[in-house]
Amino acid sequence: MKEPLPSPVTVTPPEGWRISELHDPFEAYVGPLFEREDADGTRIFGFIADERHVNERGAVHEGMMMTFADAFLGGAANRGADGKSCVTLSLQASFLADAKAGDLIECRTKLDRKTRAIVFVSARFSVGDDDVMTATSLWKVLGER
Amino acid sequence: MSSDQVDTSGFGAYAGPVLRAQRDGRDVFTFEIADHHLNGADRLHGGMMMTLAAIVLGQVAKDAAAAKQPGAETRPLSVNCDFVSAGEKGDKVEGRAEVTRATRTVLFISGDLRVGSRILMTATGVYAIKEQDGK
Repeated sequence: MKEPLPSPVTVTPPEGWRISELHDPFEAYVGPLFEREDADGTRIFGFIADERHVNERGAVHEGMMMTFADAFLGGAANRGADGKSCVTLSLQASFLADAKAGDLIECRTKLDRKTRAIVFVSARFSVGDDDVMTATSLWKVLGER
Repeated sequence: MSSDQVDTSGFGAYAGPVLRAQRDGRDVFTFEIADHHLNGADRLHGGMMMTLAAIVLGQVAKDAAAAKQPGAETRPLSVNCDFVSAGEKGDKVEGRAEVTRATRTVLFISGDLRVGSRILMTATGVYAIKEQDGK
């Protein structure tokens, strides 16, 4: 495995979180991104929004939210496909509320269904107790039909 | 062909630049894929592709809202992106979008991203129109 790519800014992970190892240049560029395990072993992903990530209204840009989704729903698809490479076929995001600079945005993924060639993954994104986005996605398992 | 940069907000500028030009009386949005926009397989990252679609659809929504009501703001409710083909470093991506339907409070926008005649992504978005006083 290649060395993880560095992010252009340094952000200290909140207590209990560690920095995700990123191998996609665009993910490293928008990062750092974080992850941790819940008490029951569930993997949770996160990032702290900063001024690079906001839109003209001061809310976290939907492009950044969908980039965060693509990064970690892809990881869930990959694990669902027993480690085989997956590519995004489709991703839909609903924006429930704004996240702001300084917020820690968390992502919890769910493997909805897996066939040999297609993986269905959904996710919930929250700031504290408030949901800010939901996403559903479809992934193609490369080399399977 | 003159062009101006759109979405110069924090993330629009950080991920972009995305430029807008007029061609045959229509807005065309352009973006050139650089090293930092790629994924680990040296293709345009899916997140960047969706960001580009969100910027194109969002700008068309914003213009449509402003045309109906000066000063109106828009907010994305839903964005759906289908990944049709891959982009590579140096590709010049062109984005176009149009208003499918506009109600008093909601805009339906549809568009695509292409390299030449090849479609990279089709996208639809639903946007809320907010009056300037935040209603």
